[in-house]
Amino acid sequence: DSSVYLRYIFNTCFRTVEPLEYYRRFLKENCRPDGRELGEFRTTTVNIGSISTADGSALVKLGNTTVICGVKAEFAAPPTDAPDKGYVVPNVDLPPLCSSRFRSGPPGEEAQVASQFIADVIENSQIIQKEDLCISPGKLAWVLYCDLICLDYDGNILDACTFALLAALKNVQLPEVTINEETALAEVNLKKKSYLNIRTHPVATSFAVFDDTLLIVDPTGEEEHLATGTLTIVMDEEGKLCCLHKPGGSGLTGAKLQDCMSRAVTRHKKKKKKIL
Amino acid sequence: MPGDHRRIRGPEESQPPQLYAAEEEEEAPTARDPTRLRPVYARAGLLSQAKGSAYLEAGGTKVLCAVSGPRQAEGGERGGGPAGSGSEAPAALRGRLLCDFRRAPFAGRRRRAPPGGGEERELALALQEALEPAVRLGRYPRAQLEVSALLLEDGGSALAAALTAAALALADAGVEMYDLVVGCGLSLAPEPASTWLLDPTRLEEEHAAAGLTVALMPVLNQVAGLLGSGEGGLIESWAEAVRLGLEGCQRLYPVLQQSLVRAARRRGAAAQP
Repeated sequence: DSSVYLRYIFNTCFRTVEPLEYYRRFLKENCRPDGRELGEFRTTTVNIGSISTADGSALVKLGNTTVICGVKAEFAAPPTDAPDKGYVVPNVDLPPLCSSRFRSGPPGEEAQVASQFIADVIENSQIIQKEDLCISPGKLAWVLYCDLICLDYDGNILDACTFALLAALKNVQLPEVTINEETALAEVNLKKKSYLNIRTHPVATSFAVFDDTLLIVDPTGEEEHLATGTLTIVMDEEGKLCCLHKPGGSGLTGAKLQDCMSRAVTRHKKKKKKIL
Repeated sequence: MPGDHRRIRGPEESQPPQLYAAEEEEEAPTARDPTRLRPVYARAGLLSQAKGSAYLEAGGTKVLCAVSGPRQAEGGERGGGPAGSGSEAPAALRGRLLCDFRRAPFAGRRRRAPPGGGEERELALALQEALEPAVRLGRYPRAQLEVSALLLEDGGSALAAALTAAALALADAGVEMYDLVVGCGLSLAPEPASTWLLDPTRLEEEHAAAGLTVALMPVLNQVAGLLGSGEGGLIESWAEAVRLGLEGCQRLYPVLQQSLVRAARRRGAAAQP
């Protein structure tokens, strides 16, 4: 049918030339181009333990956005200012593979922000007590290197990274370590492994702000690009706020912020079923 | 890393727990048919943001590859370079293929901190050399195609898998090519066995005396690339290994064809407005 075809051509051109106007027309009808409502999340799928060379791994898909997290555990001397603690070292990598906007080389701004965000989530939510990672105070502790690599960047990277990290940490198995009193060396029994003690389950919910007023949940890459601001809230199961990330952008009223937080709590309840 | 302020700081030094493990029997690779190829899973067109992409899984080796471009080439005109076929654009106007090979930090037995170093660059160069003969670069004057390969898990024959995945991704992106490139790895078992093993596992590679990767363009039956190192012994032995590798590549070809056909079907079905 030629009129349907012409309309299709017009829509594609319009979307390329005037993306914001195109979006506004959908928002007026309270929906988005991919068919979702303003408060609807994309389907999440998790695949756990697929990388056998890692001590723990998880692959998370949030719509098209795909993040893989691999955890490797090594020994190190505990930090001098905290001799009874171990380390958890996150690293988010946004390679040119995931999107044409990234170049190869050292981590760019967005990757650094994401790494810092994950480090904050780990610290604030106490997902793992660092004291649990200590083997011998002052001498030996575990260091968990959590490497997150984005494979496909279609918006909402922070939610996907947080979820991948949580799922991977739950999958980690550490071998039993004893300190030989005579030689003062560690002895590792690779055959006896145990899971980590995961204290809390933080879940992140991201929002994008449109035209300073409208809030949409779980933005895609295109939506993030058109948005005037973004907001990420990390909640744990007791409804406690672990982290709030709002990098500039349009301001939000207190009421809107409260609304976002309650949505984050609901989201947590739904997501928890997937991990446990 | 102490000096790198762009990443979260960890301890200055760390060691893998395997160093302190109790004495265990040395893992030795089991004897097997030297010409066996591990079953391969290939899927093209799985990333939404890349022009073309492919994922390849062979035994424990998992590689993901994405292609973007063609876009305007950066830098000045390339003066010399290999002479292209006479009827196409002169060397200075030919397109460029930029390859990037990355190993995930958790891909091997020992964690490798992100700035990969020399090995990744060498493999990226090997990728470029093997893929260039297959791509019609003369059809992309003054443009560059970017190929990024990411090794998620190293289960042996990583370069061969990356080559195959890269060629599939290029085909998926609709880049004009003369033929696909299929890669196959080989390794020479140490004395006393001294046979060449096709598609070695990581354990076999670690115990090997020499390693070889061949890249073949199956339909044209031309070798696109060859990279090997180690103590192999007689020349005939290496020639035998290359022949074995080329046979392996031919055997892999049908699987790759099927994956491209499936990807094209999926694309067709999705494009129905």
